[in-house]
Amino acid sequence: MTKFEAKNIVKNFRHEDYTLRALDGINLKVEAGDFVCLVGPSGCGKSTFLRIAAGLDTPDEGEIKFDGKTITGTGPERILVFQEGALFPWLKVSDNVEFGLKMAGVPKDDRSQISKRFLDMMQLTKFANAYTHQLSTGMKQRVAIARALVMDPDVLLMDEPFAALDALTRDLLLVEMQLIWEKTKKTIIFVTHNVSEAVVLGNKIAIFSNRPSRIKKELIIDYRRPRLVEDENLMKYQKQILAELRPEVKKLDGNKK
Amino acid sequence: MRKSIGKKIVFYVILVVVWQIVAFTNIWPNNIFPSPIEVGEDLAYSAADGSLFYGIAISMSRLIVGLAIAISGGIVLGIFMARVEVVNQTIGSLVLGLQSIPSIAWVPLAILWFGLNDGGIIFVIVIGAIFAVTINTYTGVKNIDPNYIAAARNMGAKGSQLIIHVLIPAAFPYMISGFRQGWAFAWRGLIGAELLFSFLGLGFLLNVGRQLTDVSQVIAIMIVIMGIGILVDGFVYKRLENKVMSKWGLR
Repeated sequence: MTKFEAKNIVKNFRHEDYTLRALDGINLKVEAGDFVCLVGPSGCGKSTFLRIAAGLDTPDEGEIKFDGKTITGTGPERILVFQEGALFPWLKVSDNVEFGLKMAGVPKDDRSQISKRFLDMMQLTKFANAYTHQLSTGMKQRVAIARALVMDPDVLLMDEPFAALDALTRDLLLVEMQLIWEKTKKTIIFVTHNVSEAVVLGNKIAIFSNRPSRIKKELIIDYRRPRLVEDENLMKYQKQILAELRPEVKKLDGNKK
Repeated sequence: MRKSIGKKIVFYVILVVVWQIVAFTNIWPNNIFPSPIEVGEDLAYSAADGSLFYGIAISMSRLIVGLAIAISGGIVLGIFMARVEVVNQTIGSLVLGLQSIPSIAWVPLAILWFGLNDGGIIFVIVIGAIFAVTINTYTGVKNIDPNYIAAARNMGAKGSQLIIHVLIPAAFPYMISGFRQGWAFAWRGLIGAELLFSFLGLGFLLNVGRQLTDVSQVIAIMIVIMGIGILVDGFVYKRLENKVMSKWGLR
């Protein structure tokens, strides 16, 4: 069943004296329960595409269909996890996690019950009453994921959530992310520029070309889980992706102003 | 702060001693330059007969009403300016202009519009404080990480929810500076207005001192005005600021 479909998404960024075409007709189909990784050179518009998918930005052309219906804005069925977490520093961890439920008018008791479950799942129970600045970057991203999961979205949109993490913490979260995906059966669209991260996480990889970007190639990775970063069998997928990406990165260098 | 408290005590003791010595030398007549002991006696006397506390209570009640109006109005106006560009371009420029008017300059208008009563005084306080709150709220809202707003919208926050649960708390560190400035302007405006046209209140007591050529009462009231300023700033605003800053991890 197709959960999410992007049809010919075009996005231009207008500056005073020139227009930059960021997305040049993105077509992407995501089936329910897919874990799709979008990889591409930095600045290629992956994050822009994800914001459009979340409904936080509007495309200049094309449309996003969700369960067959065109989306017109944000919705609780599509929740974005930001690169830097975007946690609210004025709220405790538990209140951050409960934020969406509070907005939806869920009563306090139910809220704390739900947030407890997800804090537990993300091993954050001890930090429920901490403020976000007291957490490490890795814990912050766990909170951000928990905050998204309590909304019980159909699709989780993740914008390079592990980019700022150290390698060890990232490896740990890469495994956790796979477990979460298997446990919750969410559809996940995950943006990254890290190829090894993509092959560990995704069962489908969409490779973005350089600006103005299109999806250059799609790749299916059918391999057992949980996958580990150091698994040598994943190397051949990495090589395939890198072979597609290298010329794109070179183009980017040539484009620099 | 604890480290400096000893130095402070020594400094003020020396200050009072020097003052006492200067007064003792009688360079100026005593009714023009009273000694700290006389000022202290005056303070004790007006404290004992209750007139001092009554004056403080009257002034503070006016201040609280005026400041409450200024803070709530300033927050609304500031958010409006930050979120609606046309409001910023129009009302925003007026706010900047109005803020440059000293609050005491509003007194004639206050008297003409409201008469010689509390309404006029509160008007002066509100008009003196509101623009500082507005401008700081505006700056605070403008400086909010756009991802906070995007994340909140994504999680379903709309309209007033967005304002109450995101914009105000996210801008709060800036808003505190606005409250603090607003309070300082309000306090100056209040005393000035009371001095010019009011019955009761600290400014009125100052004026009474002048009319009776009671210099020690004038100085005593001025010390009270300064003391309240220090107390409010230190106990209310510094604490509020420290609390918010440590919550955010900014300190």
